[in-house]
Amino acid sequence: MSRRHAEALPVREADASMTLLKEVDRRPLDPGYQEAADRRAAGTAPRRTVVSAIGLLVLAVALGMFATTSATALRRPAPAAIQARALLEAEIRERTAQADELRVLNADLSAQIAQLQGRAAATDDPELFAQLQHDAVPAGVVPVSGPGLRIVVTDGDEEAVADDIGALVLDVDLQILVNGLWAAGAEAVALNGERVISTTAIRSAGDAVLIDSTPLSSPYTVEAIGDAATMQTRMARQYAGQHLASLAGYGIDVQVSAQRMLELPGRGQLTLRSARVLGGDDADAGTGTAGATSDPGPTPSDVAGSGSPDGEEAP
Amino acid sequence: MIAVIGLVLGVVAGLLIEPTVPANLQPYLPIAVVAALDALFGGLRAYLDGIFDERVFLTSFLSNVVVAALIVFLGDQLGVGSQMTTAVIVVLGIRIFSNAASIRRHLFKA
Repeated sequence: MSRRHAEALPVREADASMTLLKEVDRRPLDPGYQEAADRRAAGTAPRRTVVSAIGLLVLAVALGMFATTSATALRRPAPAAIQARALLEAEIRERTAQADELRVLNADLSAQIAQLQGRAAATDDPELFAQLQHDAVPAGVVPVSGPGLRIVVTDGDEEAVADDIGALVLDVDLQILVNGLWAAGAEAVALNGERVISTTAIRSAGDAVLIDSTPLSSPYTVEAIGDAATMQTRMARQYAGQHLASLAGYGIDVQVSAQRMLELPGRGQLTLRSARVLGGDDADAGTGTAGATSDPGPTPSDVAGSGSPDGEEAP
Repeated sequence: MIAVIGLVLGVVAGLLIEPTVPANLQPYLPIAVVAALDALFGGLRAYLDGIFDERVFLTSFLSNVVVAALIVFLGDQLGVGSQMTTAVIVVLGIRIFSNAASIRRHLFKA
């Protein structure tokens, strides 16, 4: 019974479900070639006319040109992308130059303002002027110079960074270092040539460390004016010293050196955010003398360290 | 003969003139080039088999390129562009390989 049934069914090939793959693998040549050859052999092939010959030639030229054009277009990088990149680069350069110009202008203007304010205060209120002169140094608005410590913290080399991300200097490291220096008696601190004042923020944005909004890059140079020997010993006793020492374990290079003469730039004019009349004196109410405005003198003050600076390297 | 001369002329013209390809056609160039390669290998094999026909060669060339580009275009519209590209590359790649193997057997008898 079952046998007769089987005979009635059409014979199925074992790989009938793979016709597509078989087609691709076993008959890679266009069947058209075989048919054309058969037609030629049978003598039924259409006769070649001039028109068809020209048509073939045009088609062949077009295809050859197309293939060549495609290949060359693929070989060279997209011109549009390069142009866009060049445009962006030029724009970045232009804007950076503009920003630099504005920064210089800003510094100029703030120096002028400081000078005018200083002159006004000196004539109107010599006592206040002296106070302002004195406060300008801790406020960080004027450039200062004097002996101090220079600490250079450098990221580990590329290999070390690839190995362990800890080989990068973090904002925390610099924060601890700067705070440690203040605690050790520094009178003025600068980080990569940017003066650190009471409102300065050191923080990370992605991989970059920012001081306020200026990006910094390794090596980070922290300069502190004060008595180098005292600062070094105090630092070593504090947490900051231990932290610095531990950085070496991550492949970060730390160099501490005492300097005879450091020159730190001033922060320039501070922005007045809130002001209050001192003492409630009615006479002063009109001028609105504010405690927050720090008024630099026209010349950089020299902050002299008390101890004798020695040029020896720290261990 | 006409087809070969025409192709050579086209290649020379393409190298000399260096026409630019419109930006919206750029994504389909790689697939079109692979399709053209497939047609070339097919034509060479047919020539060695002794059944080469210019008309068939050129029409298969043209249709290969157009259909391959169309399939990828359709895939792009459906959001499966890269998969379509892979599918076309696989099919054409297999054909190129087996045609190349056949050509090798013709040339080296091995």
